[in-house]
Amino acid sequence: MNTTKRTSLNIQSLIPNRATFTRTFRVAAWLGWQIESNWTDPFLFAIYSIVKPLSGAAILVVMYSIIINGAFKSPIFPYIYLGNAFYMYVGGVMTGISWAIIDDREHYKTLKYMYVAPIHMPTYLLGRGVARFTVSSLSVLITILFGVAFLHVQIDLAAVNWGLFFVSLFIGVIMLAMMGLMLAGVTLLIAQHVWFIGDITAGALYLFSGAIFPLDVLPKYLRPVGYFMPITYWLELLRRSLVGSVAQAFPTLSRFSNTELMGILLGLTVVFAIFAAVIFFWCEHRARERGMIDMVTNY
Amino acid sequence: MNSEQSSATSEKWSVEKNTGLRFFLQTVIARAYPRIIGQQREKSWMFFDILLPMLAVSAYVFVYRAIDAPDEYVGFVVMGGAMTAFWMNVLWSMSSQLYWEKEMGNLSLYIMAPNSMMAILLGMALGGLVATTLRALAITILGGWLFKIPYEVTSFGQLFLVFMLAMVALYGMGMLFASLFLLLSREAWHLSNLAQEPVYLFSGFYFPIKSFNFWVAASASIIPLTLGLDAMRQLVFPSGAALGFLSVPLELGILSGLCVIFLTSAKLLLAHMEKLAIREGRLTESRR
Amino acid sequence: MNLAIHTQNLGRIYKIRGGKKTDPKELEALRDVNLEIGQGELFGLLGPNGAGKTTLIKILTTLLAPTSGQACITGFDVIKDPQKVRSRINMVSGGESSGYGLLTVRENLWMFSQFYGIPSKEANRRIKELLKVVGLEDRLNTKSSDLSTGLRQKMNIVRGFMTDPAVLFLDEPTLGLDVGASRDVRSFIRQWIDENHPLPDVPSGDASRGEGRGEGRTLLLTTHYMVEADELCDRVAIINEGRVLACDTPANLKRRLQQDVIFKMEVSPLNGLSADNFEGLPGVRKAIHAPKDGSAELDLILEKDDALGGVVNMMTSNDVHILNLQKREPTLEDVFVDLVGRSMEEVEAGEQ
Repeated sequence: MNTTKRTSLNIQSLIPNRATFTRTFRVAAWLGWQIESNWTDPFLFAIYSIVKPLSGAAILVVMYSIIINGAFKSPIFPYIYLGNAFYMYVGGVMTGISWAIIDDREHYKTLKYMYVAPIHMPTYLLGRGVARFTVSSLSVLITILFGVAFLHVQIDLAAVNWGLFFVSLFIGVIMLAMMGLMLAGVTLLIAQHVWFIGDITAGALYLFSGAIFPLDVLPKYLRPVGYFMPITYWLELLRRSLVGSVAQAFPTLSRFSNTELMGILLGLTVVFAIFAAVIFFWCEHRARERGMIDMVTNY
Repeated sequence: MNSEQSSATSEKWSVEKNTGLRFFLQTVIARAYPRIIGQQREKSWMFFDILLPMLAVSAYVFVYRAIDAPDEYVGFVVMGGAMTAFWMNVLWSMSSQLYWEKEMGNLSLYIMAPNSMMAILLGMALGGLVATTLRALAITILGGWLFKIPYEVTSFGQLFLVFMLAMVALYGMGMLFASLFLLLSREAWHLSNLAQEPVYLFSGFYFPIKSFNFWVAASASIIPLTLGLDAMRQLVFPSGAALGFLSVPLELGILSGLCVIFLTSAKLLLAHMEKLAIREGRLTESRR
Repeated sequence: MNLAIHTQNLGRIYKIRGGKKTDPKELEALRDVNLEIGQGELFGLLGPNGAGKTTLIKILTTLLAPTSGQACITGFDVIKDPQKVRSRINMVSGGESSGYGLLTVRENLWMFSQFYGIPSKEANRRIKELLKVVGLEDRLNTKSSDLSTGLRQKMNIVRGFMTDPAVLFLDEPTLGLDVGASRDVRSFIRQWIDENHPLPDVPSGDASRGEGRGEGRTLLLTTHYMVEADELCDRVAIINEGRVLACDTPANLKRRLQQDVIFKMEVSPLNGLSADNFEGLPGVRKAIHAPKDGSAELDLILEKDDALGGVVNMMTSNDVHILNLQKREPTLEDVFVDLVGRSMEEVEAGEQ
């Protein structure tokens, strides 16, 4: 009898072949969209996609206007406004990917069937995140349009560095997806609490990513966390590509050129992707050991 | 199974069952129990419900620092951040809870049992309130210590009264939403999600609602946290009174009114929901 | 003495809301159901999936209103007096996971006991006692999310019995359980009725089952397992498409077929013959054909032994070989076939 304990991970089994990847991703994205969009009619869905992001932005606008008395032309305002707008991707993508675990496990009770199906689980989760990503894109767009139309956020379309913008956006979304995967791993091991773990984590990381205030405002001992977060460089790149002048007004990252920032973002994305793989598969392994793949924990 | 045991069972089972108020309270406590115990049993909530929200609150503190706001605004944010815990709890653990219970198969057992459904909802509310108060206190104390916030309570009696009234009204609203969201079925979720940010905005979690014009602030006062938070800020911070929307006694009066309105509506809607559930036969069944 | 369960012309129509491409429909789940179940009876509702059993239980447990007719539990109307009904009943459904995963078995059961007004101390005593009976005493402090399906169902059964209801509804209590666990559950149910609660006068009774009378706990069991109904129940109602087709003791129901002869045959594939061909033969009352891999099963209800000759002749002339032939006693399955014209399996397959 073979009694060797098999604990080492088989690296090849972690990476899906192309056919599996495509099949899994396509179906998961379709399923995610069905779940996300089928709950109501398009009208309510549109309201939902508009009200939520605009309210979030309005909180910051009101905070700002109470103190500064409507000086919307100061560079700090577009800094905060754009940072907040793009930050919606953080909550959206991370929630989309990690929530699928809770939704499938505790609500639809299908997680176990997904696990026994010949699909690649991380790919499945990434696919499930596509719907939220799409909704977030709509939210970001609406928020920015609202800022430009009513709040003096000035974006000169001719001056925008479109190449930099789209490349940064693309890498950033991959990076966020990797963070979502880490959270999905953690979610496999925790009970269903009352909130979206992705949103709550995004809320916490808000502090460290220079989204709504320059990192210099943070106490010295907290700044290194911000420098380690790829989101910091991602948001800086997006701001630089859309409104270069705003980014220059704050010294935190001004010593880096666009290329250097891009290099840092790419490097950190790779690091996070490795973390994500290790954390996800470790958590999955633990969840299997402890029989938590099909638990129901509501209280 | 043990056949020798079974013959002895029900002969000894002639104990009087509780009735009336005693039975009502018994039901409340029984439904509050899983909330309080279940949550403590799964320790991950401490990290996700105290530490992470604390970090999110801090982000708003630093926004004020970045735009050189006066110090009392930092206190406002921390207090608002602590109170968001209650709003989250009401949205996710009260409003969508009957929907969850249905999905889990418990709702029909609750309706079929001789208890009052109002007692079940009160139990959920009580359990949620106790558990959340712990979190809110942790954020208030931790935030106060981190950002050196000068709390100067002018009247502990009034502060306690405001808090209690705001909570009764807020959880009354949660009980009302529970039936409402169940009637709307699958949309419950999304409605909870949708109501999150607008309420953060209009209830003035991060700034005094006096900043809105009168009618906006007055309309926002339908959400019990709005006036509760406003009155608490007036009672806790030295400059709070100057930035208050209405006087504390008036806010106390309105909150009392909201308590009556929400609890009565919750009872009426619950009865309606139950009737509809029985007539149409779909509300007790999972439709996942 | 009030009947435990009494229904008069009970009916229920579901309105099914239309989708984007479909129109709204009406589905008649129950039609004119009349039942009189005495106190202390173990009564079975037997029928295929979709026959209306669960709808009937829902009405009787105050969870669903009938669209016509009336239903009373221990003399109280389920619509007019739901509170009085609720304090006298409980229900256990198979395949459900009630309670909260993070609570232990004891905590979940304690919580539900409180919803029935049982004082805490007494509740804990009953829980311990019943858990011992179902063999779960060592799982008292296990989180219910850690229980297997079978054990969770046993916990569920304890939840139903611990409130000592006057009428207990068991909706497919052995659904999804393995053979051993099902047997345990069945023997516990039978014991509960036999040992604790004397039987009343059964309206059209079977003398072989209990002779006692007086008030007792009543159990209504729905099942689509014939053996379960036959083995457990004092009386059985056979229900299909929302209607009660027959209601009597299992022995009396089977006696309907006593004049008949029942054969079970295993034969080679029928080579184009169908059950209808056999039913056309003189003396053949019913024929049920179930094709299998490389062979076929044929169940025959015949008026007399002689009729078998015609069947064999037809087979021989169509080159069908008999592999096995058994003459057997009638079962409730045969009663169902006799009443409905199809086997329960066929009805369920047709539903799907």
